Amino acid sequence: MASGSEIFREAGFEMGTAIRPGATATRPTPSPEPALPRPPAGVNRVRVSLLPYALITPAAAVILGVLAFPLGMLVWLSFQHYGLRQLIAHQGDWVGLNNYATLLADPTFQHVVLVSLLFTVANVGLTLVLSTLIALLLLKVSTPVRVLLGSGLVFVWATPVIVAIDVWQWMFDYEFGVVNYLLTQLRFGDFIHHNWFEHPLQGFGVITVVVVWGAIPFVAITLFAALTQVPQDILEAAEVDGADPWQIFWRVTAPLLRPIFLIVTSLSTIWDFQVFNQVYVLLNARPSQDYFTIAVYSYRESFGVTQYGLGAAIAVVMVLVLVVVTFFYVRQTLETADLELAR
Amino acid sequence: MRPRKFLVAAVGMAAALIATACGTGGNTPAAAETGPLTIWLMNGSAPQSVIDGVNTDFKAKHPNVTVNVEIQQWGDVGTKLDTAFAGSTPPDVMELGNTLVAKYAAAGALQDITSKKAGYENSSTWLQSLTDSCTLGGKLYCVPYYAGSRAVIYRTDQFTAAGVQPPDSLDGLLTVGKKLMAANSSDPNYSALYFPGKYWYAALPFIWDAGGDIATNSGGKWQGSLNSTSSQQGLTTLNTLVTSLSKADKTGDEAKQDAAFAQGHIGMIIANGWEVGVILDPKAGDPTLKDKLGVFPIPSHVAGQTAPVFLGGSDLGIAAKSKNKTLANEWVGMLEGQKHMSEMATTGGVIPNTTSLLSLGTGLNATFYAAAKNSRFVPNSPNWASVENANTIPDMLVSIFTGKATIADATKAASDKITTTLNGS
Repeated sequence: MASGSEIFREAGFEMGTAIRPGATATRPTPSPEPALPRPPAGVNRVRVSLLPYALITPAAAVILGVLAFPLGMLVWLSFQHYGLRQLIAHQGDWVGLNNYATLLADPTFQHVVLVSLLFTVANVGLTLVLSTLIALLLLKVSTPVRVLLGSGLVFVWATPVIVAIDVWQWMFDYEFGVVNYLLTQLRFGDFIHHNWFEHPLQGFGVITVVVVWGAIPFVAITLFAALTQVPQDILEAAEVDGADPWQIFWRVTAPLLRPIFLIVTSLSTIWDFQVFNQVYVLLNARPSQDYFTIAVYSYRESFGVTQYGLGAAIAVVMVLVLVVVTFFYVRQTLETADLELAR
Repeated sequence: MRPRKFLVAAVGMAAALIATACGTGGNTPAAAETGPLTIWLMNGSAPQSVIDGVNTDFKAKHPNVTVNVEIQQWGDVGTKLDTAFAGSTPPDVMELGNTLVAKYAAAGALQDITSKKAGYENSSTWLQSLTDSCTLGGKLYCVPYYAGSRAVIYRTDQFTAAGVQPPDSLDGLLTVGKKLMAANSSDPNYSALYFPGKYWYAALPFIWDAGGDIATNSGGKWQGSLNSTSSQQGLTTLNTLVTSLSKADKTGDEAKQDAAFAQGHIGMIIANGWEVGVILDPKAGDPTLKDKLGVFPIPSHVAGQTAPVFLGGSDLGIAAKSKNKTLANEWVGMLEGQKHMSEMATTGGVIPNTTSLLSLGTGLNATFYAAAKNSRFVPNSPNWASVENANTIPDMLVSIFTGKATIADATKAASDKITTTLNGS
């Protein structure tokens, strides 16, 4: 994941701008002249202006091939009735917007979307709060402890998701799980044969633990990196002015980190909204309907009950929701870049 | 550990996209079939010795044809079969669960072998219910392979210690179970009858015995009937048994039940004949239990009678897109014929595809063979596979056993869904 360090760098630039006292309030009018020197007019100019396009052609071709084409196929598929017969004949039946109409009228789908949204809000919220706390902690502890904590985070990050889910599954196992054993030994009650997946709320609790656990390292390390860029003199100035740590965080640090927060929130939302493995694998590939998130539902409709068209329509809806979130992400990234240019 | 479906999902998604992109594959005439022949068999169906035997016989006739037998897992087979059939070179022969055949036959994935039926050994004495599962619209789309029916496997030593005999009625089953629970009350993990919540194959006998059914067909229209009074009554009986006698995971499935049984802490499980082999397996189970196992049929609510059981089993289908249909037919004919089917029954512990071999069921197997004679089947509809893949019945059972929904509500919801799915296009 290369984006981590990039984000950090962008944030670093941005903070460099924002931390100047009163920078946002009395920002000098950006000078209209562009920052980059213009090439001289003439033949050269044409050559130079073509070069960037030539440079992005390979990347664009790859993106078109692996992203735009499948996405186009998905949309195309969502307008068709595509069952097993159609799959074998390689020929779908065009049904227009029927699949979408079916979805709108489907109470299961409404429930699934609601569950996915609530799940996303809870997971993103928890991820951000816990990651921020860990990032602040990393800032305060001594170097050896920081190295230890940091390595721990990196290990979590490096664990393949399936391996991690298997381990969590064993820990929460109904018969042999260490969680039930420990809770009983610690006298929290009788957890022998406690089934964590009997009630969806508890089950989603476990899924949340697994998802948040896996999401914290990236967010915490990113926030920690951003925190190290907050200049000490501002914090000291605030302290001299009589601000307590709570005020310093909310009035000084948090506003400075706002762009970073926006970016990790967008990314987390994108990841958590399309959660699949943690639900599917944790529940032995046979999740009951209570546990359907939008990605699981799409998979079940496509590959479970062989309604590939309907499954595709669900996936398209999911993509549309994510496009909205991505919009904020992209806008923030562009704004950051603009500020940088305006500086 | 269960197979991991998501990998298949990724591959399947890719395959589906590629399949759609690359147009129709060839149905080239079988001028000179040279193989290689690809065969998909399911995990736990034919013992390796049977596969080797068939391949040796086949090799003797066709020394230049390579045969690849690949073993598939039940857990993710639906997705795998869909994508395999969609490709232009599917495996030539595929073992299909008998509840799945109708779906693939209706979609045109399987070769119509009606005209070849007489050429198969024992085809006049094939088990009727297996032949039915291969038949759609009067045409034959697969060859019956083997059957399986469930009965209760129990620990004779525990029964002796608790002073109980195998019961001959459902009431008796509850009484015996309670005595076992009492005799083992010091063991908090003990289940007199170990019944995982999603084990729907084992739940069907209770529904059928009470006079209920999954769905009924009148005039070509399906009507779900799990919410009928009889079905509900059967589920009430089962719920009482599970609540009083089982410590198994109410949201789990039966995949691990043999391993659990071999570890002890369990008096009875409802299982297939071949599962005895898993229980006694030196790696997965415990061979020392050999003389401590007994089998009795699932009893009926009427004393002295047995409950109808689900007739599971497998058929062998030949892909319509296969380029080696003649060779494939020949291989299938060898596996399903007298010689190798006898070995399937004796070493594999399954019920053979022909009534002429039913006498091979001896010892513990005799009870499983007998159970097959009073057996029922799921609605034979191309859409049934969708009901199965949507986990409708397991989800209903979990709701009932965990008390999340009343029997009335849970059965109503499931039944409505089954009606819709079966009548869907």
